[in-house]
Amino acid sequence: MSVRKFAVMAVLACSGIAVLALFVAIGPSGASAQIRTYKPPQTAAPGADWTKRIEEILPPGVESRAEATARIAAYKPDPVKYPVPRTPWDGKPDFSGVYWPDATITPPPVPLESLYRPEAREYREGGGAAAGLIDWRGIDTPNYHCWPPSPVNGSMGGTVQLVSTPGYLLLLNEGGSNFRIIPIIGENGPQPSASRKPSFQGSSVGHWEGDTLVVEVTNFNGKPWLGAAQPPKRLPQTSSDALRIVERWSRPDAQIFEYRVVVEDPKMLTAPWTGSADRRGILPYDTVQESLCFLDPELDARHREFAAKEAKKRGAVR
Amino acid sequence: MSRRAMALVVGAIVVGAALLVGVRMAVDEKGSTESAATGTGSFTAQTAWGEPNLTGVWRGTPLGAGSGRDTFNLAKLEGLYTSDARARMKELSAKDDPTMRCTPPAFPRAAMLGYPVQIIQRPGFAFVFTEAYPIFRIIPTTGRPHTSGQYLFPTHLGDSTARWEGDTLVVDVISFNGEGWLASPQDRPTNASTGVWLTSDAMHVVERWRRIDADTLEYQARVEDPKMLTMPWETPTVIFKRQTVDRIEEVLCRPEDGPATYLARLGS
Repeated sequence: MSVRKFAVMAVLACSGIAVLALFVAIGPSGASAQIRTYKPPQTAAPGADWTKRIEEILPPGVESRAEATARIAAYKPDPVKYPVPRTPWDGKPDFSGVYWPDATITPPPVPLESLYRPEAREYREGGGAAAGLIDWRGIDTPNYHCWPPSPVNGSMGGTVQLVSTPGYLLLLNEGGSNFRIIPIIGENGPQPSASRKPSFQGSSVGHWEGDTLVVEVTNFNGKPWLGAAQPPKRLPQTSSDALRIVERWSRPDAQIFEYRVVVEDPKMLTAPWTGSADRRGILPYDTVQESLCFLDPELDARHREFAAKEAKKRGAVR
Repeated sequence: MSRRAMALVVGAIVVGAALLVGVRMAVDEKGSTESAATGTGSFTAQTAWGEPNLTGVWRGTPLGAGSGRDTFNLAKLEGLYTSDARARMKELSAKDDPTMRCTPPAFPRAAMLGYPVQIIQRPGFAFVFTEAYPIFRIIPTTGRPHTSGQYLFPTHLGDSTARWEGDTLVVDVISFNGEGWLASPQDRPTNASTGVWLTSDAMHVVERWRRIDADTLEYQARVEDPKMLTMPWETPTVIFKRQTVDRIEEVLCRPEDGPATYLARLGS
C-alpha cells in the first residue's frame, strides 16, 4: 500500500471517528428535542386491518414500509457517490449492514405457479410436509408455526443483517432469529464440510464470480413452502428434497444489496424458475435485535377457528 | 465548540490513528501467512486484523448435577438463592422450564448443554451461534457501551458488549428478561433441590472466552443477580473442543416437535 493511499485512509477514518465524537458530545442536547413519546398501538380488534394501523401510528417524517419500498425500487445505484464497501482481507464487496425493506425491481418472467406439475396437486392439497399441521384453507401459514421464511427469498424475513467475515457470509434475521451461515470457497480454500442433515434452510456453499457472490443451496428437508397458499384458489407451493436454489448476491453500491434466484425442483416443477430480482436498502444500525418466534396457543386456536369457519363458508357456496 | 467537545475530537483522532496503524500493521504482517484466515477450515492464532482468533465450531461435554455428581458448581449456586427466591422455586416444577416452550437458554446455561457452539469474528464484532437452540448473539468487541437505554429492552439472551483483555474476550451481558433459568430441571445437586433455577431482570453476566491452544476454548462466567442471589456465582471453567465441521447443524425448536424433543435436546 502506498503512503498516499494510507494517508487518505487515515484521514477518512479519523474524520469518521471525529464526527462520531462530536455527535456524542453535542448529541444529548440536540437529540432531546427529537424524542417523542412512543404510544403503543391498541390491540386490533379481530378482523380489523392491523397492517393499516401500523402505518397510521408512524410519526410524521418517518417512512412507511410502502414508501420505503417504492423509494428503494426506484433507486438508481451510484457507486461513485456511494462506493461499494470492500473487506480488508480479500477486497471483495462487504455486505455487512442491516437492511429493510424488500423491494422487487424485476418481477419473475413467469409465475412460479405456472410451473407446478399437475401430478403434485394431491400432495399440495394436503399441505405437503405440513399435512395435518398447517391448515392452509384458513389464514394459517408456515410463519405462524415459526418455520423459517421461504428459501425462495433466501430465508430472509423482514429486517435482515448481513455480515461478511473471512470465509463466510452470515445472514441474521431479526424476525424469528433464524440465521444462515454461508461458507465461501476461497481460491485455495478447502471444500466446506458436506455432512449436514437436510434442513429447512438447506446447506449453502458460496463462491465469487467477479463481485457477485453465487450461492448454491441444496440439502433441503422437503418441508419449506416456496410460496404460501392463497385460498381458495392457490394451493401451498410445496417443495421436495430435490430442491436446489442458486442465489446471486451483489452490492451495486453502499446503499443497497441485490438478490436474484433460480429455483429447481424436478419433483415439483416442470422447469427451473427464475424468481424476481429484489433489493433491500441499508439502515443506519449495526445490529438487529432479538425477536424470537413462539407458537402462541391462543393465536393458534383462533387460526383453527377461523379456518373452520372459512371452510364451512366455502362448503355453503359450493 | 466547547472545550470538552474539542478534547473529545482530538482524543478520537489520536485513538483513531493508533487503531488504524494497528490494523495496517496487522494486515501487512499477514502477507507472510497468505490465505491464513480466509479458508473455512484453516486456523490461525490471530485474525487478519490482529485479534485473538476464536473462530470455529466448538463443543463442550454436557455438565450439570445429579446422582452425586456436580460438574457445574450448582450446589454452590443453590445455596446462594434468597429465601424469597426459594419460596417461589418450591412452587414450580420441571414443566415450568422455559426451554419447554422453545425459549433459548442463555449463556452460561447454553455452555453446559454439550451442544456445539459456533463463533465467527469480523473486525469489531464476534457472532456466537448455538446448535441446541437456533439463536445468534451479536457481541461488539470494541468495548463500546451497552445499547443506550432508549433502545434497550429485556431479552432472553440479554445485551452484550465485550473487550479484549490480553487474549481473553470479556463479555458483559445485561438486560435479561428474567424468564430464563440458570440450569436444567434435571440438575439436582442435593436431595432438597427443586430443579428450578430462576433468574430476574437484574441479572448481570460477565463471560470470559479464551482459546488456550489450536483446538481448545475455555469459557467461564460470573453471574450476579441481586434480586435472586445473595452473592455472585462463578461457573467452573468449561472446556470446548474444536469440531472439524465448518458450520453447526440447523436444529429448529418448534412446539410441534413435542416436549419430548426439548428434553432430549437438553440431554436428560
